[in-house]
Amino acid sequence: MQPALADAAPGDRDLIEMLRGGAHEPAFAQLLQRYEGKVYRLCCALLRDTTQAQDAAQESWVRIWKALPRYDERASLSTWIYTITRNRCLSALERRRALASLSDGPVDDEVQALHAGDVTPDEASEHDDRCALLRELVELLPERQRRVLTLFYYEGRSVAEAAEMLGMPAGSVKTALFRARAALGEQLRRRGLDDPRLWLETGP
Amino acid sequence: MNQDETSSSGSAFEHALDTALARALRAPIPPGDFRTRVDAALRRAAESDGSRPAARARLEREQREQLAELRAGYLRLRRRTFASLVGGAFAAGAAAALLMPWLEATFGPNALLLLAVGTALAGLAIVASYWTPRGGLAGRL
Repeated sequence: MQPALADAAPGDRDLIEMLRGGAHEPAFAQLLQRYEGKVYRLCCALLRDTTQAQDAAQESWVRIWKALPRYDERASLSTWIYTITRNRCLSALERRRALASLSDGPVDDEVQALHAGDVTPDEASEHDDRCALLRELVELLPERQRRVLTLFYYEGRSVAEAAEMLGMPAGSVKTALFRARAALGEQLRRRGLDDPRLWLETGP
Repeated sequence: MNQDETSSSGSAFEHALDTALARALRAPIPPGDFRTRVDAALRRAAESDGSRPAARARLEREQREQLAELRAGYLRLRRRTFASLVGGAFAAGAAAALLMPWLEATFGPNALLLLAVGTALAGLAIVASYWTPRGGLAGRL
């Protein structure tokens, strides 16, 4: 048995068999159906911009379609798809950094950070939007922790899924999650928002 | 769910934070027209890929035509050169035949030797002009 077939999720085995049989078009249609949301969420987590995430996800699918006949089963289908997607996102991030170096991007980040830091418990409760505060605090986390935390919750709190999508060992994901939550907890304690009832009541 | 293996401890606050994060970080869903956009992008990519062999064939055909034209030009040049040589030789012979009576009257018995030396010098000058780097205005243009 090929490694990819052995490692494949039960649902992907049939797709690998289809690809082996040369049925690329129906296999791609099923891949798109199965991974459309995951690819998009990975793009969102990496790029933090829905427009860019849509473009990157679209480009990723075109790449996947073109590369599908050359899929050699060395990695599982999901890992292969996530690798292509990550590469597209990294290219998009490099382009964005290149553009930011010509504009005032870092200033925007600083303004955003200052804005998030200015949010007080009173204001948050005033707007009954502690989730917004939480999201802003997540945005202030270091890049790696933010990505891990975001994908962990996007993918139904699955360490394995987030690790595969980010191409990281599960242990690193757990460490990043632990640090991210500790940092968030500390920020909330500083703001006097460490009463569990506040958070269990929050939300739609 | 792997909450147990990722929580730092089982405190009520951390459990509440986990619940709040799950609420706050909602998974984004692709826009409604995303599949249509992907389909359109795939069609464009397929068209682009399909036009690539056609463009390659066109370029190869143009290259072949240019090469054939160059070869034809080279042959034309060789024929013209050969014709110029033959024509020049005949013209030189005819000119010599016409000039011989005047040369013999002017230079006497040395006329033939003088004509041979003169034509040899002219020939050498022509050869030298082709084998040495070009000078003058024409060479600099």
